[in-house]
Amino acid sequence: MANDHLPSRQLMGVTRFHWQQLLGPIVVVIAVSYLTSGVSASFSYLTEGALALLVMVLSLQVFIGNSGVLSFGQAAFAMVGGFASGLLTAPVKIKENVLDELWEPLKAINMGIWPSLAIAVLIGALFAFVTGLLLMRLSGLAAGIATFALLMVADNVFFNWKLIGPGPQVMPQVPKFAFVDESIVLTVIVIVVVYFFGISRRGRLLRATREDALAARALGASVWHLRVLFFTLSGGIAALSGAMYAHHAGAVTARDFYLGFTFITLAMLIIGGASSLWGAVVGTILVTAIGQVLLVLEGGVNFGSVEVTLPNGARGLVIAAALVVILIWRPKGVTGGKEFNLSFLNRRSSTRRHSQVERTDAKIDTMP
Amino acid sequence: MIQTILDALSYGGLYGLAALGIGLVFGVMRLVNFAHGELIAIGAYLMIITIDLGLPLSIIIAVAGTAALALLMELSVFKRLRLAGPSVLLIASFGVSIFLQRSYEIIFGALPRSGQIAQWMSGVIEFGETTITRGSILTIILALALLAGMRFLVENTTLGLQIRAASSDFQTARLLGVRSNYVIGAAFVFSGVLAAAVAFVLVTQRGSVDPLFGVNITILALVGTVIGGLGSLQGAALGGFAVGATISLLNSFLGNYRVYTYTWLFILVIIVLLIRPSGLISNKAFKERA
Repeated sequence: MANDHLPSRQLMGVTRFHWQQLLGPIVVVIAVSYLTSGVSASFSYLTEGALALLVMVLSLQVFIGNSGVLSFGQAAFAMVGGFASGLLTAPVKIKENVLDELWEPLKAINMGIWPSLAIAVLIGALFAFVTGLLLMRLSGLAAGIATFALLMVADNVFFNWKLIGPGPQVMPQVPKFAFVDESIVLTVIVIVVVYFFGISRRGRLLRATREDALAARALGASVWHLRVLFFTLSGGIAALSGAMYAHHAGAVTARDFYLGFTFITLAMLIIGGASSLWGAVVGTILVTAIGQVLLVLEGGVNFGSVEVTLPNGARGLVIAAALVVILIWRPKGVTGGKEFNLSFLNRRSSTRRHSQVERTDAKIDTMP
Repeated sequence: MIQTILDALSYGGLYGLAALGIGLVFGVMRLVNFAHGELIAIGAYLMIITIDLGLPLSIIIAVAGTAALALLMELSVFKRLRLAGPSVLLIASFGVSIFLQRSYEIIFGALPRSGQIAQWMSGVIEFGETTITRGSILTIILALALLAGMRFLVENTTLGLQIRAASSDFQTARLLGVRSNYVIGAAFVFSGVLAAAVAFVLVTQRGSVDPLFGVNITILALVGTVIGGLGSLQGAALGGFAVGATISLLNSFLGNYRVYTYTWLFILVIIVLLIRPSGLISNKAFKERA
């Protein structure tokens, strides 16, 4: 049976600042974003959406990757952020006409995208802090289920309470980002924040609690304090992701942040490798790319004389299969949980020799 | 009032059956199986597709097919994840669940498939002023019968003894000669049979099936399993019953605010978890070490 408590022989996650590890993912994100968004207007739109998802995956990484505690709750904070930023920026007239049951002060308020993003992040972080104070008492499976319950509560409230949002309707006419650049800037900021929190003293202590809670306590680490701190940070970033999504799609509904969203972002994190920032970036790019290729194939493509058409649903099927296969064969994800490293190719042979050791150690919850 | 109580009992019984199916597998391998919902869905699909062969044959096919899919899940995926922790298993089962949902979408189509199964179940019996649907009575009887059956199986057979041993301490059970793969396989098969029973009740109530048919009840039953008690079969069944009965009662008492049933339910779930993280009826071997 599982031994959840085996400390990794090789500690995962960065400990010291390396330019390469920070700049690598940033350069890759900027390069890929501009390359794909340059293709066409629809690719530019797609890139914006993928960047919003990447921010969400980073939010999951900073909490799940560092603490080793499974959380489904971040989608709830994305929901909060998306609704906050959407409501604060949508035209007053639209709100008065479409959302007649909305709370009056919310109808009257209107601001630009940037201040609304800041407010969304603050509200998301506040929600995460308040719920984290309670939920971070739990660990292991209880934490997973309790955060899942949080998502259910958020979905049920946002889907029905018309005083604070559109309820089951779509919140329309949310102003969109003018260019893809805004999304890129926001994503790069998040990468920098996630990286520096990861290498900070508290980040290292949190990873220590992931590996061995007793030893970490002996070092003076309060598991609860550290988890609440990172849960709050993660909640703020998740809210930013929700807000970025709202300004990308130009509309927002409660069901945008439900099980499908939770699944796809979690799959991206696991496929890339949960214990590194680079894993989050690689996972998001890979899953988005696979998803797009399959989406095109679902529409039907001619290869010479052969027409290939995949049935609807093939996309989810392949991504779900990829997630399961990765969990079985490469539980640390395609990056092996390592940060960006240019000497990656030379080191391949030596990492392979250690792969047996890593396999047994690889798990998200070393710390139930 | 009687109707409210009977509804609560029948809801509770149904969710108890679903939770027991999840709890059986959880007990032997600490897997919270998200994909249990897709077992329920395949049972419903098989019943609706084969209903022209007559109800008894249709039920047999559904039970066999569901149990086979459960075993296939274990052999193809979960058997390869024996070394993984509970959170990894949970995520893997989430993946299996989405995989199967999309497979159903490809095979059976995204739109609901309808079929009339055991229509007499929706008939009502009148006692003076209260009317009771036959379905809710049958659900209670079916739940009681299956719970009794499972209890007999677990308490009075060698296999049941092995399952109980494996649930309370897997390592020691293995050392004492319990064949782990056999026991886990058996637990999956039984959970498939229970899923088929849930599918039967649900499909008679709804009259149609779609790829997401089993998602809702599974989320609730899964939560019931966890709050009922990690690794205890009675705990799982009781937890599922509690969740089902609570939903039914909240639905009747909240009146116009019944859309917020899930909000209150999940707030209660969080409170229970905060007070007793290892469940209402906890098994010491499963208390997660801190």
